[in-house]
Formats: sequence, C-alpha cells, structure tokens
Amino acid sequence: MPAGAAQNRYGGQIALYGGQLVLPATSDPKTFNEIVASETSSSAVTNMLFEGLTTTDAFTLKVIPNLAASWQVSPDGLTWTFHLRPGVVWFDGKPFGADDVVFTFNDLIYNPDIPSSSRDVFTVDGKPFKVQKVDDLTVRFILPVKFAPFLRGMSQPILPKHKLEGPLKAGKFSFTWGIDAPPKDVVGTGSFYLDQYAPGERLVFRRNPHYWKRSDSGDVLPYLDKVVFLIIPDADGRLLKFLDGQLDYADLRGGDFPLLKPLETKRKFHIYDAGPAFGSNFIAFNQNARANPKTGKAFVDPVKSSWFTDVNFRRAVAHAIDRPKMIEILANGLGTPQYGPMSPSSGFFYNPHTPSYDYDLDKARQYLAVSGFKERDGRLYDSKGDPVEFNLYTNAGERTQIAAMVRADLEHLGMKVNLLTLEFNALVAKLMSSYDWDAIILGLTGGVEPHFGKNVWHSSGQLHLWDPKQDAPATAWEKRLDDIFNQGVQELDEDKRKVLYDEFQTIAAEQLPVVYTYLDDNLFAVRDRFGNLKPSAYGGALHNLEEIYVKQ
Amino acid sequence: MRLYILKRLGIALLLLLAMTLMTFLLMRATPGNFFDALKMNPQISPETVARYEHLYGLDKPLLMQYGHWLANILRGEFGYSFYYNVPVTHILVGRLGNTFILSLTSFLLTWLVAIPLGVWAALRRNRLADRLLSFSSFAAFSTPGFFLAMLLLYAASQWGVLPLGGMRSPTYDDMTALGKILDVGAHLIIPTVVLSLASMASLQRLMRANLLSVLRKQYVIAARAKGLPEGQVIYRHALRNAFNPMVTLLGYEFSGLLSGAALVEIVCSWPGLGVLMLTAVRAKDVYVVMASMLMGGVLLLLGNLLADILLLWVDPRIRYGKHD
Repeated sequence: MPAGAAQNRYGGQIALYGGQLVLPATSDPKTFNEIVASETSSSAVTNMLFEGLTTTDAFTLKVIPNLAASWQVSPDGLTWTFHLRPGVVWFDGKPFGADDVVFTFNDLIYNPDIPSSSRDVFTVDGKPFKVQKVDDLTVRFILPVKFAPFLRGMSQPILPKHKLEGPLKAGKFSFTWGIDAPPKDVVGTGSFYLDQYAPGERLVFRRNPHYWKRSDSGDVLPYLDKVVFLIIPDADGRLLKFLDGQLDYADLRGGDFPLLKPLETKRKFHIYDAGPAFGSNFIAFNQNARANPKTGKAFVDPVKSSWFTDVNFRRAVAHAIDRPKMIEILANGLGTPQYGPMSPSSGFFYNPHTPSYDYDLDKARQYLAVSGFKERDGRLYDSKGDPVEFNLYTNAGERTQIAAMVRADLEHLGMKVNLLTLEFNALVAKLMSSYDWDAIILGLTGGVEPHFGKNVWHSSGQLHLWDPKQDAPATAWEKRLDDIFNQGVQELDEDKRKVLYDEFQTIAAEQLPVVYTYLDDNLFAVRDRFGNLKPSAYGGALHNLEEIYVKQ
Repeated sequence: MRLYILKRLGIALLLLLAMTLMTFLLMRATPGNFFDALKMNPQISPETVARYEHLYGLDKPLLMQYGHWLANILRGEFGYSFYYNVPVTHILVGRLGNTFILSLTSFLLTWLVAIPLGVWAALRRNRLADRLLSFSSFAAFSTPGFFLAMLLLYAASQWGVLPLGGMRSPTYDDMTALGKILDVGAHLIIPTVVLSLASMASLQRLMRANLLSVLRKQYVIAARAKGLPEGQVIYRHALRNAFNPMVTLLGYEFSGLLSGAALVEIVCSWPGLGVLMLTAVRAKDVYVVMASMLMGGVLLLLGNLLADILLLWVDPRIRYGKHD
C-alpha cells in the first residue's frame, strides 16, 4: 500500500475546541450538487461537504487514504480493491458504505442522462470502469486498460445513495440540491455541514459531530464550531473587510503585498507566500494549416502561417518577453518566470531542467536572422519581404495587462502587434470553432497529474490550441508527444512515468507551441489567532481545515 | 380615459414582445454560448459539452427556442438557469427584493431632498446659497458612483461606525425585530447615499430650471399684479405647473428601480440583482437575462403608464384635451 499518514514539516499542537473562521467568497455557489457543479465557486462549497476515497497529501503530493482506509491492486494493474473506512456516517447519521460508492459511479457519473464533467476523467479509451460491491465495506474497480492516474482520480467525492436515489428515479437528479434546496438536505461526510445559505450574503457551515477523523493525539475533529463564507464580489471590498477584522483570511495579489505587509503586527495577521501557483498565462500562435471546409480558404493567412509554424520565430518571441519586468510590475516581484508546461509546485513530475529563455533581444534577433527575417527602419520583414504584423487576442481582465506588456516587448523586435480584447466566450469560439485568430494570450489551470493535460498536448485534443483536433500529428515532435501521453497513462511505475513526462516538458519548452510568461506566487494572509496552520502551495492555507483551531 | 389606458396597455405588450425578441437574438447572435467555459477545461470532452447543449435545447433552431420560451412565459414559467440548474424565479426573487429595498430608499431620498432643494435654489437664484448648491451639484453629478462608494467604504473602515458593505450583520439572526430593521438600515446608508447623490444633483437642477421658467410666465406676473401673497403665487400657481415635467421623469425613474444599482451593489457587496445580472450576461445564461429584461421592461412600461395617468390627474389641460 502506498504512502501512509501525512508527514510534514509542521508538528501537531494541543488544540482547543470552539470558535469560528470567517472566509471570503468571490461569488455565490451555483449549485450544491457535486456532480453537476462545473466551476470553482460551487466546488469551494461542495469540497467542504463531500469526500472521496483518496485525497492528495498537501506536502508530499502523494495519494493518501481518505474514505477508503486502504487498497490493493492486482498484478496486472487492472483490478483495484478498496477497503472503506468503517464507522463513517453521513450528516444525517446513516452509515456510509459500498452502496454509496457504487451508486456514485454507476448511477450518477456513468448515467448518460446526467451531464457530468467527471465522466470524462473516468472513461479510458471510450470505456467506463466496472464498479462492484464486494461487501458493505469493500468495493472493486475493474479497469478496461491500465490507467496510471486512477488512484488520484479516486478523490472523486462520494454522494449518499439514500438521499439521491429518489430524485434520480423521478428523473430530477440534475435539479436536485440546487441553491434553492434546504441547506441541511445536502448530506455529505465532510468535517463541516451546511447550516445556512443567504444568497449574495453568506454561507454558514457548522461542525459535523459525527466526523470520522481524529488528530494525532486522538482528539475528535474538527476543532472549530463554525466556518462562515462571506460573499464579497469586489476584491478591494474583501481586503477592507480583512483589514477591519471581519474576515480571517484573504487571498492577495502581488500588488496588495506592500500595502498589507507593514500592518502585519498591528492588525494581528501573517502573510504567507506558498510558492508558485498552478495557473499559467501564455502566448500561443495559430499553427493550423488546414482550410475552412466552407470557403476553401486557409484559416490562417499563409504568410503569417509561415512565421507561426517556424520554431525560430517562436523562440525569438520567447527570448523577447521580459519576464522579470512583468513580474516586477504585475506581481510586485512575487512571481516565477515560466518556460515549461508544469508549475514548480507540481512536485514529483516537474522537470526543472527544461530549456529556458532569458530576456535577451540579441538572441531573439539571432533566431530571427536564421530564418531570414530582417529588421529595416525599426520594422521586421520576413524572408519574402512581408512586414511582420499580426493580431493578438486576449480576454478582458488581468490578462490584458500581460498582453500589453507582451506587445510592447515584441515591438522591440520590430513586429507590429494589434491587441484585441474580447469577451471570454467570443475568444473560445475563435479557438474552438472558427479558428480565425493569429495569436492569443490565455491561461489554463494546472495540477499535479500530467496526464490531465492530455487534451492540450495530444494532437487529437480540442484544447491543442495551436492546431486542434488533428487526425494525425502534423509534426514529428507532436507525434512524440502523442506517444508519450499514450504510454504515460499505461505506465504504473512512477519513476518510468517521470522519465516520460520529463521528456514531454523538454519537448514543449524546445518547440514552444505556447510561450509561457510567469506564475504568480500563491499569496494569502491569515489572522494570527489560528493554530495548526500548515500552508502549502498545493493546498493553500486551509487544506487541513478540520485541524485548525482558535488560540486562547 | 379607460380606452386611452387600454390602448396604452396594448402598445406596451407589443413593445415587450419586441424587446424580448431583440434581447434573445442579440444574446444568441454574439459568438459562443454558456457551455464554452466547459470547452476550455482540459478534463471535459466535446461529447459532454454536446450532451449539455442538447439537454438545454441549444442545438435547436433559434426561433424555435424563442417560441418555446414565450410559450412558457405565458404559462407563468420563466425557464431554468444554465448556471444554477434551478428555475430562474428561485434565483431572482430574493435578490429582487434586496435590490428593490435599496432602490426604493435611494429613490425616496432623491426625490424628497431634490425637489425642495430645487425650489429653494430657484427662489434664491444667483445668490451665494444657489451658487454653492449648483457647484456641489456639478461635483456630485460628475463623481462616478463606484468610486464614491469605495471612498465612503474606506472612510467607514477608518471611522468604524458604519458597516463595510453587505446587507446584514453576521449576528442578524439573533436580533430583535427592531434590531433587524436598524441593522439593515445601517447597511443601507452608504449605498443609498451613493446612489442618490448623482440623481439628486440632476433632479435638483431640473426642478430649479423648471420653476424659474414658470416664474417668468405671464400668469405669474398677473397673479402677483392682482396682489396675491407670494406664498400663494409660488406654491399654488407656479409650482404645480413646474412640476409637470418632473412627473414624466418619475415614470422613467421607476424603470431604473431594478437596474440602476449594479455597480454600487458590487462595490458594497449588496446581495441584489447587479452581480447576478452581470455574470448572467457575461456567461450567456440566456434565460436569467431574459427574465430580468422582462422585469425591467414591465417596470419601464408601467412607469410610463403611471406617469401618463399622473399627468392626467395633475394637469387639467391634458385631461380636457383628450376629451374633446
């Protein structure tokens, strides 16, 4: 059995019961129905209420037991047997067991009538897992093929059969546990239950007296009586309320740091920098060489296409982006330049030895010269004499600042860049269906498991932004990436997987289908009166909410 | 008069229909739909997105979708929100009330202060008080509401008496009935002041100008000439006529009751329609947008109708004109 209990650099402390923690929420949850939920404001709530068979250790990033106490895997890697934790009960006192796990997968996730985003994670080569009950506390999963991210995927929250079977049979499951549901009807196994929801105002969670987890010293968890989410849409409003003492926690932007740092002692809080965040921002060029089937014309002007598909052009761009300046101005110095596809915070699978591109206009010009680009009177011309000019799209919001700085940097090379800001939906339409774009500044969320980026890196993926949904890989390096992702998902030896995904990160950084900018630091402030705070880059400040207590 | 109102109602219904159709087509003519955000998630397949689109009927012809919506409206159903998976009415009702409270207080404050202030300024035309008032009116008029709201919130955080946004204190549930009212009242102060200030300024200027122009009329001179006391000249004769254009304005302001507060609501984290609508439009949650359009439209038309009826009542000239 892999990894046991969490080992981390913080010791346990003797804690006190009672008190409350008040957290900010940027917007209302859209639903309490975990299966239907598809964005962060809802999952922030459902993550409090529901738990999966496994979870990820916030420090080692390894998969550790949660609702399952242990598991075995057959030698061929296809049959996984989970032994559920005995004595776990739902908020309403009904026992948790194998029936709930089987119900969650077979009746909800794999149900063709329920649109669920989880289904795709649990479908390998178009085939679902077979999920069977062995006895009340044992569940067996039979996989169609080997699937390396399986255990991590088992963090899928389990829902109660006894509450949801009725609505499911009545055909109303998708509309069950909407935000109009009575809060106490939403039954999970988490450390806090939902007690009250006032739309646009707040969510109140109370201590789950039946919670199964014990502290190292045997205390019944959680310690806090109450967790409150105050819904405050405006970022400055959240900051004001934090400074005023009404909030106990605040997410910070780089620019907030100099404002808050001097107040730490006086206002009794502490700012934590948990290292690089996971979300990336990058510039991508449209390398789609295909023609629009309706008009017969190429999606991308062939002149521009010849630049975008030229790796020297993209490397020149990578060298021309002044990442340190960007970090200084946009993140107040609290960020990390990014060159490869994974965040340094992803731990085991992160490859620190990918090629990097320092800010160096001479190197950039050398790359351009190799491909016959010439600078004349401050303008850049390609080998055929066409001036280099293209449209750079991005969506409104913080990304426009990044886009403006990228544009200014590229103009140093003599490129003319027209910056266009679109609504997010319009941008997606360009990327996914009309393909009429030149360059784009965009971000994607990242994580620990490289395979979950398959849709971006496999040439058949619809998020393979620069040339999506290819029938066969257009280039040799894309072919190699396809092979890596196909092999990596079947490889159960972690070290062998690491070799594969290291190569993927090297190829991505060499070929630069997307040119990364920088990663913000994960910054947050928490009031001093809380004990057992163990912040990590992966889990933030509150991953061990059940252990956090109020100091005397 | 009854015929007149009926005719107005008929036109109003047609207008509403046109308005909803326009909104629907505009929402759908712009690229993308609600499920685009899902397409950007590396862990969601195109088949799943297609399944969603089918479930919500987004793959049907446009006019058919609109017809379906309209038929449901006639049956009193406003449709489901894509975002929340619950009936639109369940999301809107509570917030509608909150926005209404805020709008009503600022509406009352605006009118109760601006009208007397306008009259007062007109009677002191070009004196120091009038000059000061018009200066501060222009200042209030040109300060963006959200900025003023932030300033006031910051001041409140330093001062420590007024709450920093929101609608109710965390301890609200344990308060007495009177305490609850006072609590909401305290939370109302900043957003109400911000919302009222700009419209108060313009309304005050309008009232002043109206009264001044009326005071120059022949019948006012005649009234003065025949020796009526100044109070009667102004309050009995001039003011009633100066008030007519304001009644029309009142009708328009009525429609703003639900829509005028969005930015201030966001800055003051007031749990009203503002944030909800903004997210709905941006995320293309079509039926939420349609329902709010419908409500806004109904209010606008109701307001106009109300203004017309009020005008009939305050201005005999219109009444007699119609009866000819």
